Amino acid sequence: MIDFHPQVKQLLDGELTLADLPPELRAEGEEALRLLAAVDREPVTFPGLDARVLAKLRGRAQAPGFWRRLRLRPWTLVPAFAAGAALALLLFRPIPTPAAATVTVRFVLFAPDAQQVALAGSFNQWDQAATPLVRSGTPGVWTATLTLPAGQHQYAFVVDGARWVADPGAPAVDDGFGRRNSVLSL
Amino acid sequence: MKTLCVSLVLAISATALGAQQDLTARLAGRVSPEVAALVQQLATSAAARGLPVDPLIQKAIEGSAKGVPADRVATALRVLSGQLDAAAAALQQAGAAQPDTDAIAAGAFALNAGLSGQNVAALAVASRPSNSVAATLRVASTLAAMGVPAADVVELVTQVIATGGGTNEVLGLPAADMAGVSRGGGVTPAQAAAGLARAAAARANAPGQQKPRPPHP
Repeated sequence: MIDFHPQVKQLLDGELTLADLPPELRAEGEEALRLLAAVDREPVTFPGLDARVLAKLRGRAQAPGFWRRLRLRPWTLVPAFAAGAALALLLFRPIPTPAAATVTVRFVLFAPDAQQVALAGSFNQWDQAATPLVRSGTPGVWTATLTLPAGQHQYAFVVDGARWVADPGAPAVDDGFGRRNSVLSL
Repeated sequence: MKTLCVSLVLAISATALGAQQDLTARLAGRVSPEVAALVQQLATSAAARGLPVDPLIQKAIEGSAKGVPADRVATALRVLSGQLDAAAAALQQAGAAQPDTDAIAAGAFALNAGLSGQNVAALAVASRPSNSVAATLRVASTLAAMGVPAADVVELVTQVIATGGGTNEVLGLPAADMAGVSRGGGVTPAQAAAGLARAAAARANAPGQQKPRPPHP
Protein backbone atom coordinates (compact mmCIF):
# COMPACT_ATOMS: atom_id res chain seq x y z
CA MET A 1 0.00 0.00 0.00
CA ILE A 2 1.34 3.44 -0.93
CA ASP A 3 1.73 5.85 1.94
CA PHE A 4 1.13 9.35 0.57
CA HIS A 5 2.12 12.58 2.25
CA PRO A 6 -0.72 14.01 4.34
CA GLN A 7 -1.06 16.98 2.00
CA VAL A 8 -1.30 14.63 -0.98
CA LYS A 9 -4.04 12.77 0.90
CA GLN A 10 -5.82 16.10 1.30
CA LEU A 11 -5.46 16.52 -2.46
CA LEU A 12 -7.06 13.09 -3.02
CA ASP A 13 -9.84 14.03 -0.63
CA GLY A 14 -10.46 17.17 -2.63
CA GLU A 15 -9.47 19.48 0.21
CA LEU A 16 -6.51 20.86 -1.75
CA THR A 17 -5.70 21.41 -5.39
CA LEU A 18 -2.51 20.44 -7.16
CA ALA A 19 -1.58 24.13 -7.14
CA ASP A 20 -1.92 24.28 -3.39
CA LEU A 21 0.77 21.64 -2.92
CA PRO A 22 4.34 22.69 -2.36
CA PRO A 23 6.49 22.15 -5.46
CA GLU A 24 8.35 19.20 -3.93
CA LEU A 25 5.02 17.38 -3.46
CA ARG A 26 3.51 18.15 -6.81
CA ALA A 27 5.06 15.12 -8.54
CA GLU A 28 3.71 12.88 -5.76
CA GLY A 29 0.34 14.60 -6.05
CA GLU A 30 0.23 14.06 -9.81
CA GLU A 31 1.14 10.39 -9.34
CA ALA A 32 -1.65 9.99 -6.78
CA LEU A 33 -4.18 11.59 -9.06
CA ARG A 34 -3.04 9.39 -11.93
CA LEU A 35 -3.53 6.27 -9.79
CA LEU A 36 -6.92 7.47 -8.70
CA ALA A 37 -7.98 8.07 -12.26
CA ALA A 38 -6.83 4.59 -13.20
CA VAL A 39 -9.19 2.96 -10.73
CA ASP A 40 -11.95 1.07 -12.56
CA ARG A 41 -15.19 2.87 -11.91
CA GLU A 42 -17.36 0.18 -13.47
CA PRO A 43 -19.86 -1.41 -11.09
CA VAL A 44 -18.54 -4.62 -9.62
CA THR A 45 -20.53 -7.58 -10.85
CA PHE A 46 -20.36 -11.33 -10.28
CA PRO A 47 -21.50 -13.13 -13.40
CA GLY A 48 -24.71 -15.09 -12.77
CA LEU A 49 -25.01 -14.11 -9.13
CA ASP A 50 -28.10 -11.94 -9.64
CA ALA A 51 -29.81 -14.67 -11.56
CA ARG A 52 -28.97 -17.26 -8.93
CA VAL A 53 -30.21 -15.08 -6.07
CA LEU A 54 -33.40 -14.19 -7.90
CA ALA A 55 -34.03 -17.80 -8.83
CA LYS A 56 -33.59 -18.78 -5.19
CA LEU A 57 -36.01 -16.09 -4.05
CA ARG A 58 -38.59 -17.03 -6.68
CA GLY A 59 -38.23 -20.70 -5.71
CA ARG A 60 -38.74 -19.90 -2.06
CA ALA A 61 -41.80 -17.90 -2.92
CA GLN A 62 -43.24 -20.67 -5.08
CA ALA A 63 -42.20 -23.81 -3.15
CA PRO A 64 -44.90 -24.48 -0.58
CA GLY A 65 -43.70 -24.73 2.99
CA PHE A 66 -45.04 -27.21 5.53
CA TRP A 67 -48.04 -25.13 6.42
CA ARG A 68 -48.64 -24.15 2.78
CA ARG A 69 -48.59 -27.81 1.79
CA LEU A 70 -51.24 -28.45 4.47
CA ARG A 71 -53.11 -25.42 3.14
CA LEU A 72 -53.37 -24.33 6.73
CA ARG A 73 -52.18 -21.41 8.69
CA PRO A 74 -50.67 -22.28 12.04
CA TRP A 75 -53.09 -20.09 13.94
CA THR A 76 -56.04 -22.04 12.59
CA LEU A 77 -54.89 -24.89 14.84
CA VAL A 78 -55.82 -22.92 17.95
CA PRO A 79 -59.59 -23.18 17.40
CA ALA A 80 -59.03 -26.64 15.91
CA PHE A 81 -57.33 -27.82 19.09
CA ALA A 82 -60.13 -26.35 21.16
CA ALA A 83 -62.81 -27.87 18.94
CA GLY A 84 -60.94 -31.21 18.92
CA ALA A 85 -60.80 -31.31 22.68
CA ALA A 86 -64.49 -30.41 22.89
CA LEU A 87 -65.38 -33.11 20.35
CA ALA A 88 -63.31 -35.69 22.18
CA LEU A 89 -65.16 -34.88 25.38
CA LEU A 90 -68.52 -34.79 23.65
CA LEU A 91 -68.23 -37.88 21.47
CA PHE A 92 -66.06 -40.14 23.53
CA ARG A 93 -66.85 -39.24 27.12
CA PRO A 94 -67.66 -42.19 29.35
CA ILE A 95 -71.34 -42.89 29.02
CA PRO A 96 -72.92 -42.74 32.43
CA THR A 97 -74.47 -46.11 33.09
CA PRO A 98 -77.15 -46.82 35.58
CA ALA A 99 -75.75 -48.11 38.84
CA ALA A 100 -74.98 -51.77 38.27
CA ALA A 101 -76.81 -54.24 40.47
CA THR A 102 -74.64 -55.66 43.19
CA VAL A 103 -74.82 -58.92 45.07
CA THR A 104 -73.25 -59.76 48.40
CA VAL A 105 -71.43 -63.08 48.31
CA ARG A 106 -69.81 -65.12 51.07
CA PHE A 107 -66.76 -67.13 50.05
CA VAL A 108 -65.84 -70.12 52.20
CA LEU A 109 -62.83 -72.42 52.10
CA PHE A 110 -61.99 -75.27 54.39
CA ALA A 111 -58.22 -75.20 54.79
CA PRO A 112 -57.28 -76.46 58.26
CA ASP A 113 -53.53 -76.34 57.67
CA ALA A 114 -53.40 -72.88 56.12
CA GLN A 115 -51.72 -69.96 57.84
CA GLN A 116 -53.36 -67.44 55.56
CA VAL A 117 -55.90 -67.53 52.77
CA ALA A 118 -56.73 -64.81 50.25
CA LEU A 119 -59.20 -64.38 47.43
CA ALA A 120 -57.98 -63.25 44.02
CA GLY A 121 -60.13 -62.84 40.96
CA SER A 122 -61.29 -60.76 38.08
CA PHE A 123 -63.08 -58.46 40.54
CA ASN A 124 -59.88 -57.40 42.33
CA GLN A 125 -57.35 -57.53 39.47
CA TRP A 126 -56.14 -60.91 40.75
CA ASP A 127 -54.45 -59.15 43.63
CA GLN A 128 -53.91 -61.66 46.39
CA ALA A 129 -53.29 -58.89 48.89
CA ALA A 130 -56.64 -57.24 48.24
CA THR A 131 -59.07 -59.67 49.86
CA PRO A 132 -57.78 -61.79 52.74
CA LEU A 133 -60.10 -64.39 54.24
CA VAL A 134 -60.50 -64.58 58.00
CA ARG A 135 -60.87 -67.61 60.23
CA SER A 136 -64.47 -68.27 61.10
CA GLY A 137 -65.68 -69.77 64.37
CA THR A 138 -65.43 -73.27 62.93
CA PRO A 139 -61.85 -74.63 63.02
CA GLY A 140 -60.20 -74.69 59.61
CA VAL A 141 -62.89 -72.62 57.91
CA TRP A 142 -61.90 -69.36 56.26
CA THR A 143 -64.45 -66.85 54.99
CA ALA A 144 -64.74 -63.51 53.22
CA THR A 145 -67.84 -61.55 52.33
CA LEU A 146 -67.81 -59.29 49.29
CA THR A 147 -70.31 -57.15 47.44
CA LEU A 148 -69.78 -57.69 43.72
CA PRO A 149 -71.42 -56.29 40.61
CA ALA A 150 -73.84 -58.60 38.82
CA GLY A 151 -72.20 -60.50 36.02
CA GLN A 152 -69.67 -63.25 35.66
CA HIS A 153 -66.52 -63.43 37.74
CA GLN A 154 -63.58 -65.81 37.88
CA TYR A 155 -61.57 -66.37 41.03
CA ALA A 156 -59.38 -68.67 43.06
CA PHE A 157 -58.20 -68.93 46.65
CA VAL A 158 -54.54 -68.33 47.39
CA VAL A 159 -53.35 -70.45 50.30
CA ASP A 160 -50.28 -69.28 52.21
CA GLY A 161 -49.42 -66.84 49.44
CA ALA A 162 -48.35 -69.52 47.00
CA ARG A 163 -50.94 -72.21 46.34
CA TRP A 164 -53.80 -71.31 43.99
CA VAL A 165 -56.87 -73.39 44.76
CA ALA A 166 -60.19 -73.46 42.92
CA ASP A 167 -63.32 -73.24 45.02
CA PRO A 168 -64.45 -76.85 45.53
CA GLY A 169 -68.04 -75.66 45.83
CA ALA A 170 -68.22 -73.75 42.53
CA PRO A 171 -68.06 -74.61 38.84
CA ALA A 172 -64.64 -74.16 37.28
CA VAL A 173 -63.03 -73.65 33.89
CA ASP A 174 -59.53 -74.01 32.49
CA ASP A 175 -57.54 -70.88 33.27
CA GLY A 176 -55.23 -71.30 30.27
CA PHE A 177 -52.22 -71.85 32.53
CA GLY A 178 -52.84 -75.44 33.53
CA ARG A 179 -55.00 -74.63 36.55
CA ARG A 180 -58.72 -74.09 37.13
CA ASN A 181 -60.59 -70.87 37.84
CA SER A 182 -63.83 -70.93 39.77
CA VAL A 183 -66.78 -69.27 38.08
CA LEU A 184 -69.33 -67.12 39.80
CA SER A 185 -72.40 -65.87 37.93
CA LEU A 186 -74.43 -63.22 39.68
CA MET B 1 -64.45 -27.25 7.00
CA LYS B 2 -60.69 -27.56 7.29
CA THR B 3 -60.91 -26.69 10.96
CA LEU B 4 -63.61 -29.32 11.43
CA CYS B 5 -61.50 -31.99 9.74
CA VAL B 6 -58.48 -31.10 11.81
CA SER B 7 -60.67 -31.14 14.92
CA LEU B 8 -61.96 -34.61 14.14
CA VAL B 9 -58.46 -35.92 13.52
CA LEU B 10 -57.29 -34.42 16.79
CA ALA B 11 -60.29 -35.76 18.67
CA ILE B 12 -59.79 -39.29 17.37
CA SER B 13 -56.06 -39.13 18.03
CA ALA B 14 -56.68 -37.90 21.56
CA THR B 15 -59.14 -40.72 22.21
CA ALA B 16 -56.80 -43.40 20.82
CA LEU B 17 -53.99 -41.96 22.89
CA GLY B 18 -56.23 -41.96 25.95
CA ALA B 19 -57.18 -45.62 25.43
CA GLN B 20 -53.54 -46.55 25.00
CA GLN B 21 -52.59 -44.67 28.15
CA ASP B 22 -55.43 -46.41 30.02
CA LEU B 23 -54.17 -49.81 28.90
CA THR B 24 -50.60 -48.93 29.83
CA ALA B 25 -51.72 -47.69 33.22
CA ARG B 26 -53.67 -50.88 33.92
CA LEU B 27 -50.71 -53.07 33.08
CA ALA B 28 -48.03 -50.94 34.75
CA GLY B 29 -46.32 -52.81 37.56
CA ARG B 30 -48.54 -55.85 37.08
CA VAL B 31 -47.01 -57.60 34.07
CA SER B 32 -43.54 -57.87 32.58
CA PRO B 33 -42.60 -55.47 29.78
CA GLU B 34 -42.66 -58.26 27.18
CA VAL B 35 -46.17 -59.34 28.20
CA ALA B 36 -47.27 -55.69 28.24
CA ALA B 37 -45.94 -55.25 24.70
CA LEU B 38 -47.80 -58.34 23.50
CA VAL B 39 -51.04 -57.20 25.16
CA GLN B 40 -50.61 -53.81 23.52
CA GLN B 41 -50.17 -55.45 20.14
CA LEU B 42 -53.07 -57.90 20.52
CA ALA B 43 -55.35 -55.25 22.02
CA THR B 44 -54.70 -52.81 19.19
CA SER B 45 -55.44 -55.50 16.65
CA ALA B 46 -58.53 -56.70 18.54
CA ALA B 47 -59.94 -53.19 18.91
CA ALA B 48 -59.50 -52.62 15.19
CA ARG B 49 -61.65 -55.71 14.58
CA GLY B 50 -64.33 -54.59 17.03
CA LEU B 51 -63.33 -57.13 19.68
CA PRO B 52 -63.18 -56.43 23.41
CA VAL B 53 -59.73 -55.83 24.89
CA ASP B 54 -60.59 -56.18 28.57
CA PRO B 55 -60.42 -60.02 28.59
CA LEU B 56 -56.88 -59.80 27.20
CA ILE B 57 -55.82 -57.34 29.89
CA GLN B 58 -57.43 -59.47 32.60
CA LYS B 59 -55.74 -62.65 31.35
CA ALA B 60 -52.32 -60.97 31.29
CA ILE B 61 -52.77 -59.66 34.83
CA GLU B 62 -54.06 -63.05 36.00
CA GLY B 63 -51.10 -64.92 34.51
CA SER B 64 -48.58 -62.57 36.02
CA ALA B 65 -50.32 -62.63 39.42
CA LYS B 66 -50.12 -66.42 39.38
CA GLY B 67 -46.41 -66.31 38.61
CA VAL B 68 -46.82 -67.92 35.21
CA PRO B 69 -43.77 -67.55 32.91
CA ALA B 70 -44.13 -64.90 30.22
CA ASP B 71 -44.10 -67.39 27.34
CA ARG B 72 -47.05 -69.29 28.81
CA VAL B 73 -48.93 -66.04 29.40
CA ALA B 74 -48.27 -65.17 25.77
CA THR B 75 -49.66 -68.52 24.63
CA ALA B 76 -52.78 -68.08 26.75
CA LEU B 77 -53.26 -64.57 25.36
CA ARG B 78 -53.07 -65.85 21.78
CA VAL B 79 -55.56 -68.63 22.55
CA LEU B 80 -57.92 -66.10 24.11
CA SER B 81 -57.52 -63.78 21.12
CA GLY B 82 -58.53 -66.68 18.86
CA GLN B 83 -61.55 -67.39 21.06
CA LEU B 84 -62.65 -63.76 20.80
CA ASP B 85 -62.41 -63.99 17.02
CA ALA B 86 -64.32 -67.27 16.96
CA ALA B 87 -67.03 -65.88 19.24
CA ALA B 88 -67.45 -62.81 17.03
CA ALA B 89 -67.70 -65.04 13.96
CA ALA B 90 -70.34 -67.22 15.66
CA LEU B 91 -72.40 -64.18 16.62
CA GLN B 92 -72.16 -62.83 13.09
CA GLN B 93 -73.26 -66.24 11.82
CA ALA B 94 -76.26 -65.85 14.14
CA GLY B 95 -77.21 -62.63 12.37
CA ALA B 96 -75.49 -59.94 14.41
CA ALA B 97 -73.69 -57.81 11.85
CA GLN B 98 -71.71 -55.97 14.50
CA PRO B 99 -71.94 -57.93 17.77
CA ASP B 100 -71.37 -55.94 20.93
CA THR B 101 -68.16 -56.48 22.85
CA ASP B 102 -69.98 -57.76 25.94
CA ALA B 103 -71.57 -60.56 23.93
CA ILE B 104 -68.25 -61.38 22.25
CA ALA B 105 -66.50 -61.62 25.63
CA ALA B 106 -69.27 -63.87 26.95
CA GLY B 107 -69.07 -65.96 23.77
CA ALA B 108 -65.31 -66.40 24.17
CA PHE B 109 -65.83 -67.50 27.76
CA ALA B 110 -68.49 -69.98 26.61
CA LEU B 111 -66.04 -71.44 24.10
CA ASN B 112 -63.48 -71.79 26.89
CA ALA B 113 -66.09 -73.52 29.03
CA GLY B 114 -66.64 -76.17 26.37
CA LEU B 115 -69.36 -74.86 24.07
CA SER B 116 -68.80 -74.82 20.31
CA GLY B 117 -69.20 -71.95 17.89
CA GLN B 118 -72.43 -73.53 16.70
CA ASN B 119 -73.69 -73.67 20.29
CA VAL B 120 -72.88 -69.99 20.71
CA ALA B 121 -74.69 -69.11 17.48
CA ALA B 122 -77.74 -71.18 18.47
CA LEU B 123 -77.93 -69.50 21.88
CA ALA B 124 -77.58 -66.06 20.30
CA VAL B 125 -80.43 -66.81 17.90
CA ALA B 126 -82.60 -68.11 20.75
CA SER B 127 -81.91 -65.02 22.88
CA ARG B 128 -83.12 -62.38 20.45
CA PRO B 129 -85.01 -60.20 20.79
CA SER B 130 -86.28 -60.64 24.33
CA ASN B 131 -83.15 -61.72 26.19
CA SER B 132 -79.62 -60.40 26.46
CA VAL B 133 -77.26 -62.47 24.33
CA ALA B 134 -74.38 -61.83 26.73
CA ALA B 135 -76.40 -62.90 29.77
CA THR B 136 -77.61 -66.05 28.00
CA LEU B 137 -74.07 -66.99 27.04
CA ARG B 138 -72.80 -66.42 30.59
CA VAL B 139 -75.49 -68.70 31.97
CA ALA B 140 -74.71 -71.33 29.35
CA SER B 141 -71.00 -71.25 30.12
CA THR B 142 -71.68 -71.54 33.84
CA LEU B 143 -73.86 -74.60 33.22
CA ALA B 144 -71.11 -76.08 31.05
CA ALA B 145 -68.57 -75.36 33.78
CA MET B 146 -70.83 -77.22 36.21
CA GLY B 147 -70.54 -80.28 34.01
CA VAL B 148 -73.69 -80.11 31.93
CA PRO B 149 -72.90 -81.32 28.37
CA ALA B 150 -72.93 -78.57 25.74
CA ALA B 151 -75.88 -80.03 23.81
CA ASP B 152 -77.94 -80.26 27.02
CA VAL B 153 -77.00 -76.67 27.92
CA VAL B 154 -78.28 -75.41 24.57
CA GLU B 155 -81.46 -77.46 24.83
CA LEU B 156 -82.23 -76.28 28.36
CA VAL B 157 -81.56 -72.59 27.72
CA THR B 158 -83.38 -72.44 24.38
CA GLN B 159 -86.33 -74.35 25.87
CA VAL B 160 -86.64 -71.94 28.77
CA ILE B 161 -86.42 -68.87 26.52
CA ALA B 162 -88.80 -70.35 23.95
CA THR B 163 -91.42 -70.92 26.64
CA GLY B 164 -91.28 -67.27 27.63
CA GLY B 165 -88.58 -67.45 30.25
CA GLY B 166 -87.29 -63.95 30.87
CA THR B 167 -83.79 -62.87 31.78
CA ASN B 168 -84.31 -63.54 35.49
CA GLU B 169 -85.47 -67.10 34.88
CA VAL B 170 -82.53 -67.75 32.58
CA LEU B 171 -80.11 -66.23 35.09
CA GLY B 172 -81.53 -68.54 37.75
CA LEU B 173 -80.81 -71.74 35.81
CA PRO B 174 -77.37 -72.50 37.33
CA ALA B 175 -78.77 -72.13 40.84
CA ALA B 176 -81.81 -74.25 39.91
CA ASP B 177 -79.52 -76.92 38.47
CA MET B 178 -77.33 -76.87 41.55
CA ALA B 179 -80.41 -77.15 43.74
CA GLY B 180 -81.42 -80.25 41.77
CA VAL B 181 -78.02 -81.76 42.42
CA SER B 182 -78.10 -80.81 46.09
CA ARG B 183 -81.36 -82.70 46.65
CA GLY B 184 -79.28 -85.84 46.67
CA GLY B 185 -80.02 -89.17 45.13
CA GLY B 186 -76.87 -89.04 43.02
CA VAL B 187 -78.35 -86.63 40.49
CA THR B 188 -75.70 -85.19 38.18
CA PRO B 189 -75.76 -81.62 36.85
CA ALA B 190 -76.65 -83.04 33.41
CA GLN B 191 -79.60 -84.98 34.84
CA ALA B 192 -80.73 -81.94 36.79
CA ALA B 193 -80.54 -79.86 33.62
CA ALA B 194 -82.59 -82.43 31.71
CA GLY B 195 -85.19 -82.27 34.46
CA LEU B 196 -85.35 -78.49 34.20
CA ALA B 197 -85.77 -78.71 30.41
CA ARG B 198 -88.62 -81.22 30.79
CA ALA B 199 -90.28 -78.98 33.35
CA ALA B 200 -90.10 -76.02 30.99
CA ALA B 201 -91.56 -78.06 28.14
CA ALA B 202 -94.36 -79.32 30.35
CA ARG B 203 -95.21 -75.78 31.40
CA ALA B 204 -95.41 -74.76 27.77
CA ASN B 205 -97.69 -77.68 26.92
CA ALA B 206 -99.99 -77.12 29.85
CA PRO B 207 -103.49 -75.90 28.80
CA GLY B 208 -103.72 -72.12 28.56
CA GLN B 209 -99.98 -71.65 28.60
CA GLN B 210 -97.91 -69.83 26.06
CA LYS B 211 -96.75 -72.02 23.20
CA PRO B 212 -93.06 -72.19 22.57
CA ARG B 213 -92.08 -69.61 20.03
CA PRO B 214 -89.71 -70.63 17.29
CA PRO B 215 -86.27 -69.14 17.61
CA HIS B 216 -85.60 -66.14 15.46
CA PRO B 217 -83.54 -66.97 12.39
